[in-house]
Amino acid sequence: MNVLRRLRNPVLFNEWKLRMRTNRAPWIILFYLLVLGTMTLLAIFFMTNGGSYYKPGETRELFMMLSIFQLGMIGFLVPGLTAGVISGERERQTLSILLTTNISATRLILGKWLASLSFMMFLVFATIPLYAIVFLYGGVSPLQLIKVFGFYVVTMLVVGSIGVLISTLIKRTGIATVVSYAVVFGVAIGTSVLAEIIRQFIRYQNRMNQVTSPPNSIWPDLLHSINPVFAMLNIFEEGPVQDLSSFTNAQSFWANVDPFWNYCLFYGGLTVVCLLLAIYFIQPVRGRKRKASAGEQ
Amino acid sequence: MIQIRNLQKSYGKMQALKGLTMDIEKGTVFGFVGPNGAGKSTTMSILATLLAPTSGKAYVGGYEVTSHPKEVRKLIGYMPDFFGVYDNLTAEEYLDFYGANYDIPAAERKQIIPQLLDLVNLSHKRDAYVDSLSRGMKQRLGLARSLVHNPEVLILDEPASGLDPRARIELREILKELRDMGKTIIISSHILPELAEMCDVIGVIEEGNLVAFGRVDEIYAKMQEQRVLRIRLTGQLEEAMTRLREMPVITSVTREGSWVVAGFAGNDEQQVELLRELTTAGYPVAAFNEAVGDLEDIFLEITKGVGS
Repeated sequence: MNVLRRLRNPVLFNEWKLRMRTNRAPWIILFYLLVLGTMTLLAIFFMTNGGSYYKPGETRELFMMLSIFQLGMIGFLVPGLTAGVISGERERQTLSILLTTNISATRLILGKWLASLSFMMFLVFATIPLYAIVFLYGGVSPLQLIKVFGFYVVTMLVVGSIGVLISTLIKRTGIATVVSYAVVFGVAIGTSVLAEIIRQFIRYQNRMNQVTSPPNSIWPDLLHSINPVFAMLNIFEEGPVQDLSSFTNAQSFWANVDPFWNYCLFYGGLTVVCLLLAIYFIQPVRGRKRKASAGEQ
Repeated sequence: MIQIRNLQKSYGKMQALKGLTMDIEKGTVFGFVGPNGAGKSTTMSILATLLAPTSGKAYVGGYEVTSHPKEVRKLIGYMPDFFGVYDNLTAEEYLDFYGANYDIPAAERKQIIPQLLDLVNLSHKRDAYVDSLSRGMKQRLGLARSLVHNPEVLILDEPASGLDPRARIELREILKELRDMGKTIIISSHILPELAEMCDVIGVIEEGNLVAFGRVDEIYAKMQEQRVLRIRLTGQLEEAMTRLREMPVITSVTREGSWVVAGFAGNDEQQVELLRELTTAGYPVAAFNEAVGDLEDIFLEITKGVGS
């Protein structure tokens, strides 16, 4: 009973209630499904030449396209949903009151984070019927389907935690939203740009040292494996990262791990770090870890 | 109940509090008076565990606010000068949310909330959305919210600001009820006569310094060491003013129409003697009275020159 009480989060329940009471929520759901549905059905129409025939190889591409498009939608919506969760409370002048209640900083941050993500997860899981239509044509394994949805969850968790951290650090929602988009965009593009810079640098070094063998460093591919688009392609065995263990000098732990798990581990860790920082920074006064003693003055 | 020791708070080069020290006893209604920017809200934010002081200590119920914020939060109910509400919640849901934040079981909340709504005269608005409430009603709802966990100390930062006279009177009545319930209340305001009616003790703060502290009657008495006499004459005003200036107990003399206003540094017997002297000298005195200084005068008198 006590455990249940500890797990109960009033902030989370309140956010659910507030979010679903506005007109905004059904409009977002409608818009999201309309965009993805139209795109998928149009793609099916063109790929099957108006429904006359289909090739399993092409439906696999359709599945990939739908998955990457949905990933883009997550990257587009999650910063917007999370970047205002704390700064919005601050602007609404409700944060100071919340901070004087018994609710801990951890429960406050987790409540806000989970409430935003649960709405996004609701959107993603509402698209399952679309995947079911595409899945009907074949070309994709059930494991790949599960991995794709697992990938979405991990991506949402990390993008959401970045949004919450930025919302905690920046007072204005507008600025927090812009910075969140910039950071998410930076991660999406920056990891691969950095990977290619490192690869070219190694090549240049090899040329200078007159080494004829191809560059054999795991770092560019490791960076590619944490790029959301390439990591998603990797689930379908496409893209630049496929088998890190092919590196001859790849003795490290990472070389023997499926790049999908690399992605999950890296962003899982980043999620925890972002949330811990948000919890730390939201506390106006951080109590010392010692036993309370009355009359100590 | 509350002890503040040499409390200092700086924002960059600006010093908001310059070594504030005071004690507030349990069950006291303490009025915190001062102009805008004097340091009232800063002090209240520190007591509410929302702000860490630069130096010094503040204790609530024996707990130091920076090292034991959790314990302090259980003891206090805080209402900031400006606060927002969740517009898409009803009044009852709003209180229920905060009750849940204080880990009050749902069954207990169901009992407490109608009582609180009744206390702040909002029972009829129980199912109304917060958005639809007037400013005064929102203020009262905020007060009910700060009472949801039955705190021993209430910290109310300018609770009457922006309210119309009727809403102010209603709020004052509620605060009187809370005083009768034995709560320790810290209330800040620049509407001084209101504080005089409600508070047992007042503290006047100016530019981060506590310039006066004590019971309201004590502060009145202290101020009355310098009395102001208003004398109306039907003639010979200039002569009477010259005569008054010659008297050692008179500190200043000015004219306001047919009235002479004189600063008087003496006791009641000397006041009687002064009146006798004027009438014996033949000045046509039509009225003779002592100006009653209200809290506004006290405030202006106490804070004059501070920071200049």
